[in-house]
Amino acid sequence: MVQCSGGLDDSFHALSDRTRRGILERLGRGEASISELAEHFDMTLTGLKKHVSVLEQAGLVTTEKVGRTRICRLGPRRLDDETAWIARYRDMLEARLDRLGEFLENTKGER
Amino acid sequence: MGRATITTPAEREIHVERVFDAPRDRVWKAFTDPELIARWWGGVGEKVVVERMEVESGGHWRFVVHGPDRTDGFEGRYREVTPPERIVQTFEWDGMPGHVVVETATFTDLGDGRTKVTTVSLFHTTEERDGMLQSGMEEGLNSSYEALDALLAEQP
Repeated sequence: MVQCSGGLDDSFHALSDRTRRGILERLGRGEASISELAEHFDMTLTGLKKHVSVLEQAGLVTTEKVGRTRICRLGPRRLDDETAWIARYRDMLEARLDRLGEFLENTKGER
Repeated sequence: MGRATITTPAEREIHVERVFDAPRDRVWKAFTDPELIARWWGGVGEKVVVERMEVESGGHWRFVVHGPDRTDGFEGRYREVTPPERIVQTFEWDGMPGHVVVETATFTDLGDGRTKVTTVSLFHTTEERDGMLQSGMEEGLNSSYEALDALLAEQP
């Protein structure tokens, strides 16, 4: 039970970042190298490596060195229902507040 | 179910902060008026039906969001409503029943016609929730037993 709970905390931290959620989504469609991911997310290699290492610690991603490149793929701890729900919740909340901003802007004259 | 599984709440929290170019009263109204909230709560192409919205401590809220190809229900209870500063409420999605998020929204008047909204969402894992439920029941049982003991002790 302790391990299960700790795993959730790691996942929670890993999923708190939009780029990391994007990386998981990208790897869900197939493996990719660090440099491919860096290009995809328009980030430096160092920045991307940091994100990948957080995902790796949470067991959500594994990496393997093949020649001079490092290949990333989804790890043994797949997104279970609970972690997927947390990620979805956060996206939903942020999108909702964006819409509130638009709503307040569009209804400025209304009483 | 060991107590050791519970970690600091901060690890289960999501913080989101936004500044809106609108006075606090307008933002508060957008959050608490059923007609207004229905106009921004759902996404593009979605229709929000506010089935219940009792904006008071202990009040129930339930929104159903009708999208082009799916319908989702969300609900919870207001735990604290302090106009125009703070709302604490629980949030559950029908698709993940029992996974309760406690949301605290704080509205700060920035004094220049803008308002800062800070939301803190605290997640509970299934294990923790079950643990809390269980310990609550044990306490309840123990106090019942104590009352029974006291009653029996009074008997001649």
